[in-house]
Amino acid sequence: MRNIKIEHLSKSFRGDIILEDLSLTIPGGKFFALLGPSGSGKTTLLRLIAGLETADSGNIFLGNDDITKTPINERRINTVFQNYALFPHMNVFDNVAYALSIRHVPKDIIEQKVVKVLKVVHLDRFIYKAIDQLSGGQQQRVALARAIINEPDVLLLDEPLAALDLKLRERMLVELIELQDQLKTTFVYVTHDQFEALTVADYMAIMNKDGCIEQVGTPKEIYEFPTSIFVASFVGTTNIITGSLSISVDQADAIEVADLGKLAVAVPADKSWAVDGAKVAISLRPEKIEITKQEQVGFSNMLRGTVHAIVYHGRSTQYNVRVSDTLVLQVFEQNEEHFPQEVIDYDDQVYLYWQKENVVLLNQ
Amino acid sequence: MEKTIPATSKALVVSVALIYFFLYLPIFVVILFSFNNANYPYVWSGFTLKWYQELWYSVEVWDALQNSLIIASSSVILSLTMGVLVVWYGSQSILSRFVGMFYGTLAAPEVVLAVGLLTLFATLTVELGFISLIAAHTLLGLGYVVPMVHAAFHGLNKSLAEASLDLGATRHQTFFKIILPLLRPTLFAAGLLVFIVSLDDFLISFFCSGSSAQTLPMYIFSMIRSGSTPVVNALSTIMLLVSSLFVLSFSFLHVRRLGWRL
Amino acid sequence: MNILIRMRKAFAQEMPFFMALPAFVWQMLFLYIPLICVVALSFLHINQQFSLSSLTLSNYGMLHNPLLWAVIGRSLLLAFCAACTCALFAYPVAYYIALHTNRFKNICIFFLILPFWTNMLVQVYAWFFVLEKNGLINTLLLNMGFITEPIRFLNTAGAVYIVMVYCYLPFMAMPIYSILDRFDKRLIEASLDLGATPWRTFLHITLPLSYSGIRTGFFLVFVPAFGEFVIPVLMGGGKKMFVGSLISYYFLAALDTHRGAVFTVISALILLIVSLMLNKFLKWLINVFVGKGY
Repeated sequence: MRNIKIEHLSKSFRGDIILEDLSLTIPGGKFFALLGPSGSGKTTLLRLIAGLETADSGNIFLGNDDITKTPINERRINTVFQNYALFPHMNVFDNVAYALSIRHVPKDIIEQKVVKVLKVVHLDRFIYKAIDQLSGGQQQRVALARAIINEPDVLLLDEPLAALDLKLRERMLVELIELQDQLKTTFVYVTHDQFEALTVADYMAIMNKDGCIEQVGTPKEIYEFPTSIFVASFVGTTNIITGSLSISVDQADAIEVADLGKLAVAVPADKSWAVDGAKVAISLRPEKIEITKQEQVGFSNMLRGTVHAIVYHGRSTQYNVRVSDTLVLQVFEQNEEHFPQEVIDYDDQVYLYWQKENVVLLNQ
Repeated sequence: MEKTIPATSKALVVSVALIYFFLYLPIFVVILFSFNNANYPYVWSGFTLKWYQELWYSVEVWDALQNSLIIASSSVILSLTMGVLVVWYGSQSILSRFVGMFYGTLAAPEVVLAVGLLTLFATLTVELGFISLIAAHTLLGLGYVVPMVHAAFHGLNKSLAEASLDLGATRHQTFFKIILPLLRPTLFAAGLLVFIVSLDDFLISFFCSGSSAQTLPMYIFSMIRSGSTPVVNALSTIMLLVSSLFVLSFSFLHVRRLGWRL
Repeated sequence: MNILIRMRKAFAQEMPFFMALPAFVWQMLFLYIPLICVVALSFLHINQQFSLSSLTLSNYGMLHNPLLWAVIGRSLLLAFCAACTCALFAYPVAYYIALHTNRFKNICIFFLILPFWTNMLVQVYAWFFVLEKNGLINTLLLNMGFITEPIRFLNTAGAVYIVMVYCYLPFMAMPIYSILDRFDKRLIEASLDLGATPWRTFLHITLPLSYSGIRTGFFLVFVPAFGEFVIPVLMGGGKKMFVGSLISYYFLAALDTHRGAVFTVISALILLIVSLMLNKFLKWLINVFVGKGY
């Protein structure tokens, strides 16, 4: 499967710059997620790849072919629209067969292929149903079937699960992963929901509100090693603690935080901006913090605080702990036992422990 | 739900009933006396169908009807074709900004339109007759077709055309396989409307037909001018029947909304 | 070969323009150009060819004739009264159908719009039949002994007025119904719940929010009624002229096209100005009685 290479793409609408000089490589044959907040331009980028919009400048390559100027209907790229865009005057069969019927493929081959693809999306019992008789989830599958029947090089999905309820969404995510595994087509999945993105993606890119790509990588890389405060905050929950870096020969590297003193950090060699006195922040994920009422040893960092709020999440419990006048830290603790040995309650004095290796150092 | 709206005051019901009475009394009387067996239509002298017979054998009525039908059908075909083309193809070219031009027909009083057309035909020394009437009625038709089709077209889900193109169809295929089928109810309603407007039109036909083509309304006008006879009553009754059929079929097209938004 | 392909591509690209063109050409040719012709005609002498130098204002001298202004004024008054009366009649009917009927709604609507779909000549004829010297009313009154001689109903301004209201009533009823049908009935419920009487609810909630329908209907009646030809001619006789009948006289009877053009232009201008003024007036009216923003 061929890569998609986007080079120096720019697009503006009526004077508003949506994308500026954007470059990105989407690896072929993988499930790629494009994650970003609403208004970040990710749908615009998707539409540019599909050919539904034309870029002001820049190029899009599919493998070695420059498809920047190729019209929509000639690109071997198909889209699953957010509102499905199923043709209301056709039934399921005709909708799915559309891409083939306009190419005048013989009727028996069409029937064969339609039945096959409907089996793949588990809709083989609904072949001749009218569109308005289908549920949201079923309509979504029809849209999917319609888009893959022609075996395109790339399948674009524009927030396809947005209209479904939670349980259905979780199931569809798994089905999409299996589908992509089976077809080996490049999937480009656009969403603002970071849970969806982390679940399905082999690779993902994060776009910020200004239409710039902040980071590209595997979900694990992005979650565990974000390269900016935006990425750290947008993907998952995190505690951002700001301060200034203190690096000296005779003392361990640390970050100097107002009201809290020094917290130990590990400064990676490749972060060249991490010099003594630099304004930095650390991203500390709530699940990396150990919360306990008793003193512990073996951790590089410790803070004392008061439990400010407790939120029960079923799988985990969230504690908001006030550690200073200006800072409240979120802590997640997995509910491993029915009857926990240590019960933490409101206004309890607790200790927070974490290792400096589990913290990400970020530039402010 | 009905109970929570202010209780229907007797005054309201009575006034509504009176208004309906006002609307239908003349019509009822006309229908009634079309069956009257008397030469002067004010005294009831028994039931008869002879006026309908006279109508049936009247050459002028059939001629006028034929003319009206030919003109109406031509206007429908022309205005629907041009209207659909202008809405679909116009949306893809710079002309889309000028759609407002088509709302001018309904904004001007008909007499001004009639005078304009007459002047135009005189200036171009076009002989008044079928051609001028068809041209004029098609203009009227466009004034209904374009707003209706334009509204319906822009009410369609925009993603549908995009999806069609995305799946590999050309603009032509998208138009014929997706857009046109979805616009069909509107086109039927618009066509029906233009047909009736053309059949009913009097003023523009009066100005622009010269002496050759007489339409049905023009015939009725000349008959009324020469005083009432029961034959006109019979013709009126039949036309009422036809109108009722049209209204029923219009509402069965489930486009009552469009019918209101003339 | 390359050139031919490029030409085909260019043509395909510009094709939408050419496909959409016929309708525009038609509209220009049969609506806008004629209007320009009429205006041009008003500035030319009889039998003169069109050229910029021959434009003259002499035809406009006929505007000194007060009779012309009487005709215009009469038509304005008639159209205005007809529109007001239509509003008065149509609103209760539309209100009743939209808010008070359930099972009979479709039947009521059918009978309300049926006259609209009937040929106007049939409608006029119906009143002709009822009002004429040997018509229904006179016959009844004579037979019942209330009068000894038939009353002359026809050929009066009153007859024109009645038939005008009759023919244009559906034009007013439809936009009002349209708005009331989409009206959120829960607003009425809320008003009653807060303690207002039905009448106050109507005055302060229903009426202001349906006012735009009344305004639309007003102009749907006023504009055509101003230039109406059939009703004044058939019901008003030839004595008193209205705008429609006078224009027809100029163009079809007297064949005085240039003066006719002047009259048409002036009438159209007056209609436009009066309509704009009336629009402002109607907007001001609702503000005075209820409040801003309608």
